[in-house]
Amino acid sequence: MKMEEKIVAIAGNPNTGKTTIFNSLTGTRQQVGNWPGVTVEKKEGYYIYKDVKFKVVDLPGTYTLTGESEDQKIAIDFITQNEVDVLIIMADALNLERSLYLLLLLSEFHKNIIIDLNMVDLAEKEGIEYEIQHLEKLLKVKFVKTVGNKNIGIEDLKEEIYKKCKEPPSEFFEFNYGEEIEKVISEIVCQFKNLKLPYPPRFLAIKILEKDEYFTNFIITKVDWKKINDLIMNTEKFLNKPLDRVLMEKRYGIIHGIVKESLIEKKKELKPEITEKVDRILTHNFLGPLFFLFIIFIIFNAVFVWGKPFVNFIELILEKLKIVFSYLNLPIWINSLIKDGIISGVGSVILFLPNIFLFFFFFAILEDTGYMARAAIVADRIMHKVGLHGKSAIPLILGFGCNVPAIMGTRILENKRDKILTSLSIPFMSCSARLPVYLLFTGIFFKENQGMIVFSLYLLGIGIGVLSIKIFGSIFLKDESLPLIIELPPFRMPYWKNVLIESWTRTKYFLKKAGTIIFLGTLILWVLNYFPHPYNYGTEMNFIGKLGSFIFPLFKFSGFGFWQAGVALIFGIYAKELVVVTFGTLFGVENLTETLRFYFTPISAYSFMLMSLLYMPCLATFLILKKEVGIKWALISLFWSLFAGWFFSTLFYQIFSFLKGGTFVN
Amino acid sequence: MKKLVEAKEGKYKVVDVLKHGKLKKLCNMGIFVGDIIEVVKPAPGPVIIKKGNITIGIGCGIAMDIIVEKVE
Repeated sequence: MKMEEKIVAIAGNPNTGKTTIFNSLTGTRQQVGNWPGVTVEKKEGYYIYKDVKFKVVDLPGTYTLTGESEDQKIAIDFITQNEVDVLIIMADALNLERSLYLLLLLSEFHKNIIIDLNMVDLAEKEGIEYEIQHLEKLLKVKFVKTVGNKNIGIEDLKEEIYKKCKEPPSEFFEFNYGEEIEKVISEIVCQFKNLKLPYPPRFLAIKILEKDEYFTNFIITKVDWKKINDLIMNTEKFLNKPLDRVLMEKRYGIIHGIVKESLIEKKKELKPEITEKVDRILTHNFLGPLFFLFIIFIIFNAVFVWGKPFVNFIELILEKLKIVFSYLNLPIWINSLIKDGIISGVGSVILFLPNIFLFFFFFAILEDTGYMARAAIVADRIMHKVGLHGKSAIPLILGFGCNVPAIMGTRILENKRDKILTSLSIPFMSCSARLPVYLLFTGIFFKENQGMIVFSLYLLGIGIGVLSIKIFGSIFLKDESLPLIIELPPFRMPYWKNVLIESWTRTKYFLKKAGTIIFLGTLILWVLNYFPHPYNYGTEMNFIGKLGSFIFPLFKFSGFGFWQAGVALIFGIYAKELVVVTFGTLFGVENLTETLRFYFTPISAYSFMLMSLLYMPCLATFLILKKEVGIKWALISLFWSLFAGWFFSTLFYQIFSFLKGGTFVN
Repeated sequence: MKKLVEAKEGKYKVVDVLKHGKLKKLCNMGIFVGDIIEVVKPAPGPVIIKKGNITIGIGCGIAMDIIVEKVE
């Protein structure tokens, strides 16, 4: 017999322990994805309790509900358009008022609600305790006390969810905004009489009173808007205040009263907490940025240095696998497909896994401890000058390690514009995969000042990243970056179970999504390299070689107009390290230095490095961009990076050739 | 009375928020006109304020439009 299935949604303010409770309910039976059509992370999981299978959906954290924010619209749409059986609202016991504000908003369109009063241990330490029965009586909702990171109260929560599914409540809390406003709401609702709406009419009427742009635009052509507008204007005139402000004040007024009535112990006067003392250092104008850089340096090292033994181990396994396949008596083409195509291609993604896991692991620690919000504060001053939000600095800096997890890291940005602009500039941050190209060329052509040359490339990458933000920010994404307003949660010890589940789920998502698409890319590249067959793999006579011959004239003015460079650059789209490997294969490793000296001059070598720095770092980056910001922006990024690479390398080559020889080169 | 962006460390009363959109943002975070707040970290850079158990970082763009009055 099929088990009964119920849907449970978790909503709440950020930093109320939503993820911890979600993880406690579902354990590792969860998956991360995107909400359809947007780049906001979607998490769902399930658990079985008694005879019911519960599907749990973690809604984006929010303080309020407007249609203007992507996150909030997701929450509204999910609850109104899905049959959510139970809605859990997470409440931080230290800041109950703000959570109850969300309850008032959500109760307009969902009635089967449980309030999870989380972190009651911390509240008790601060002398805050509530008379739960009184709260339940006033608000007509069930309260469950939990301490998420200690697994306290989770069974009670499961039991309460079960009960709510079996016996939905008979009475609900209905907020009354007072005679004058209720009259306006009723009149607006009357206007919706013959309309089929995806939202509850009363909720929609309230949103119109709040001047919510999204919902107003949604309804404006369907009703007699002039009548509604006159009604709003007259009421505002009568009340002498904007209606959205009146509604907000009414809600907080009643909440304040309820909380005050239910508070058992008065809050003790506390000495400055450790959080406050630490905050003075972490957000200090001088020490804050130093600490921020130190943390980034540690993560950088941990992700790429600590990850190295694991990467080497995977590399060894892949090599062994190739050897095993060469001993098998398989047809040549199958052997090549497996070794050169699948193992090399998919292997290049699997190789990233230890770095990606470590990246998400440290990221989860930063989030769990509460440092992430401080980092945004520290970086805000500089980032604001560039036209971005303080939080954008974190993925940008991590882009120096690997662009793939860095682009995934843009999920921490709430604003779509910031997310797109940051994602478009990350590919210009010189990742570790470009380093072998720099080392090869600087080792041959710039032995004396290798460090300076490599450093100049990193700086140029940053400069062109900033230029991209400026160009795309002023042409396509003109809206201003949202001003920073961010809650600083108290410092906490990371909850390790949470950290591990978060890192593993996100790594799994990367592996599943990027891995499957890369597999397809691998097959295409293999075909281009292998056919027509009688020729060796990856030569001038194969399709890839022909493609190289076709594109190399483009780089005539950049100083590297020969087909081998074209092929190396094509392979470089696949993974940047392959630029070096391709030169090695085409010229032979033993003659590489001499041959490169023959083909390149110091100026054209720098120009080639510039091209390698600026054009799309790898296929995985393109695919992750497509996943995170959509195909349109991924293609824009691809073509912009190709153009920027070609343009700046040509510009460099021509200017320096002119300075050296007094003439432009063609 | 002064702008929050000009306030030094200490306790202040929120007197007004000049732009309605910004007032909405603040209210959503639990800060209202009339509330007593404590400036923990003044400008330059985002201003950090405390109200009860809530600590909020406010960028200069918003802090410019918040009018506060020193509380003795």
